[in-house]
Amino acid sequence: MYIFSEHFHQEHFLTKIDVRVKLLVVLSLLVMVLSYKGFALPLLVTILCLFLCIKMRIPLRVFIRRFSEPLFIASIVLILKFLFSGKAVMFSIQMGSITLTGHRDGLMDGLFIACRIIGAVSVVAALGFATPFTEIMAGLSWFKIPKGFIEILMFAYRYIFVLLEDAFVIYNAQKNRLGYSSIRRGLNSFGTLTGSLVIKAFEHSQNTTTAMIQRGYDGNIPMLKHKPFKLDEVAASILFIFAMGVVWKI
Amino acid sequence: MKIQKSSRTGRGKIQKYGIYFLLFTVYCLLSTDSAHAMHISEGILPFNWAAFWFAIAIPFVAYGLWRVKVLSKSDLSFKPLVGLMAAVVFIISCMPIPVPTAGTCSHPAGTGISGILVGPTISILVTAVALLIQALFLAHGGLSTWGADIVSMGVMGSFAGYLTFRGLRALKANLWIAGFMAGLFADWATYLTTSVELASGIRGDSPFMPLFWKILIAFIPTQLPLGILEGAMTAGMVVLLYKKRPDLLVKMKVLKPEEAIS
Repeated sequence: MYIFSEHFHQEHFLTKIDVRVKLLVVLSLLVMVLSYKGFALPLLVTILCLFLCIKMRIPLRVFIRRFSEPLFIASIVLILKFLFSGKAVMFSIQMGSITLTGHRDGLMDGLFIACRIIGAVSVVAALGFATPFTEIMAGLSWFKIPKGFIEILMFAYRYIFVLLEDAFVIYNAQKNRLGYSSIRRGLNSFGTLTGSLVIKAFEHSQNTTTAMIQRGYDGNIPMLKHKPFKLDEVAASILFIFAMGVVWKI
Repeated sequence: MKIQKSSRTGRGKIQKYGIYFLLFTVYCLLSTDSAHAMHISEGILPFNWAAFWFAIAIPFVAYGLWRVKVLSKSDLSFKPLVGLMAAVVFIISCMPIPVPTAGTCSHPAGTGISGILVGPTISILVTAVALLIQALFLAHGGLSTWGADIVSMGVMGSFAGYLTFRGLRALKANLWIAGFMAGLFADWATYLTTSVELASGIRGDSPFMPLFWKILIAFIPTQLPLGILEGAMTAGMVVLLYKKRPDLLVKMKVLKPEEAIS
């Protein structure tokens, strides 16, 4: 899983900022972008976040993969709104029995939603690139997210890599024996692969529990301890949120 | 002349960067090897709709969490098991499956099988965990659309899968048929709910129903065959578990002990 942030995040100023401050800024920006009626704020946020991603030296391949799906969805929404929604007709083309009609107000609505998608995705992507998973979990515990939920998240994250390795081994073995040579065989092989993953998940959960009980597990996993807030970080983040709030209000 | 030259250079630069941006966008769109149609992307829903779907999802997740807490008291391995099931759902819903009619790839939801194995309430929690990791680190779905995604994939997918499987088993259907129909209906229920969420979120001042039907029809080329593929995959999984580890199906109360022996 090369795409997870742990595998490429560099030493830069964003990783050193307290995760609670980062989460507060990200959540505030998300609320502002989602509730903003216009283009300026989402575009400003996108440019800012893209700049941060470039400064973090995120590999281009990872960057493109991260943004390809939201861009695809934004384009679909734009086309849907442009062709099927709105009243002010821009053009009308007859294609056999189908009439395609473009709407000016639909286009503006579509662009507005597309900007909102890209703005919101950029914020979360910047957070994901700049913060390791365990730190985000520690931050969530400070926000009073139930401990049981965070523990399950940590188990899931840990075992994604283990199960992925298992999945690759099974997949390669199936592929070498022409397991995906036709749709029917492919479906059978895929069912076997996922079924094997479920069996492995059961086995891993039993083995992990035994190992953890031997090391004193009583049903709770300790979280990372938080350091006290740094005054300059808090002040800078409040100032930043305030500045964005001014743009949001305009 | 100098000013003219510099303005021409400036315009040329803008054109050059414009072309780069266009090429980048086209490349991103073309490199979308997998259409993750089940996940509603970050930012697509306005604030009020995002909050609405959160309000619906939170009680389900809280109930699932409470059930895990109760079950973990008697069996310490239950919490790791739920975490591992979340990892399995994460991996399944990241696996691209070729969709012949659309000429592209899509992904299964995986909530049908988790609904069958751990029950719908805990399956919702499993889905919520998998969706949060995908939103934070893969940009599949999003933080703001987490609630909507939990409702469509977790609540609707898990309940549809679970109820179909249980209903068909009560009618004495064999494991393959029950598993297939559970996977099929879990996928289609997810896709139907996603269409409702999308139409209500992006319609603006337009009426709801026409846009809903258009989104539903737009999804058909991928989701109709994908539902069948997910059904076959779920059936294959259930049958494999029955052949290799029937004790697990008994432990998870999917089968009665006498059914496992026969």
